[in-house]
Amino acid sequence: MTRDALDRILSAEDRIVPSSGFADSVMDAVRREATTPPPIPFPWKPALPGLIAGIVAIAGLFVAAFPLRTPEAAAASPSVLSLPQLISAARLAAVKTDGAGWLALACLLTLLSLFFSFRATGSRT
Amino acid sequence: MSAAEDQADVERVLAGDASAFEGIVRRWQGPIVNLAYRFCRDRSRAEDMAQEAFLRAFRALGSWRRDAAFSTWFFAIATNLFRTDLRRIPARTLTLDDIPELLDSRAIDGGLESEDRDRVVRRAVYALPAKYRDAIILFYFHEMDVPAAARSLGLPEGTFKARLFRGREVLRSKLSQLRVSPALHEEVL
Repeated sequence: MTRDALDRILSAEDRIVPSSGFADSVMDAVRREATTPPPIPFPWKPALPGLIAGIVAIAGLFVAAFPLRTPEAAAASPSVLSLPQLISAARLAAVKTDGAGWLALACLLTLLSLFFSFRATGSRT
Repeated sequence: MSAAEDQADVERVLAGDASAFEGIVRRWQGPIVNLAYRFCRDRSRAEDMAQEAFLRAFRALGSWRRDAAFSTWFFAIATNLFRTDLRRIPARTLTLDDIPELLDSRAIDGGLESEDRDRVVRRAVYALPAKYRDAIILFYFHEMDVPAAARSLGLPEGTFKARLFRGREVLRSKLSQLRVSPALHEEVL
């Protein structure tokens, strides 16, 4: 098929006319849209301290589960642990270390999280 | 279509007067419904798609930068929407392999009439891979204006021309393989 024939056929496409109520229907939808309040955004600011505290807690768990291993300790125990072994290792590490310190850190993080959440919420209202 | 009128209406809408959008709807309803129709070949669906395009434009009016014409920006939004919609629910079209059958069955009645032939060629466009189909649809919708069609698709002109060329080649080769009536053969091959 020549380009001219193709151009002629495809250029001569019929045009349709929108139905008589089309513009009104669009404007009804637009007015509805205009009166609908915008969606409430996710409250990142109040949630941020909690998210950070969660990340720190998870990181703390991993640090407790994988303490610095001396060569002797590495030789004495396998380097790859299963999940139950990991959890018991973390619990053991938490008991062995100074429990009061961890407790204080947890309380401090909770208080900081609450403080920043209330402050961020209060500043919006 | 007046660019100044579009701009004035947009300013009023952005100032809080949603009813000013009606001017835009009345000016652009014809082209947008026709563009949608070229993508889906279904009048009722074309109006639904066009309505959604107007709503998208209304929501995004604040993002229209005045360095491009309102129509350019609006056609790009509409084209993007129509292509996405077509990927979600494909138009009822032929595959390239169906076309010989269609032509042959009509040739039994004494060959294709011009109107039938044109219809078959148009339907063949919809059997092309999407990137070639979109380029061809927009090229002819914009009355063979390559820069306008390329902007609607958000493509560099070179890329657009390459797709258009390749799309025409595929179309020509598919239509050339068909057993068609002597009149059509004489005219288009």
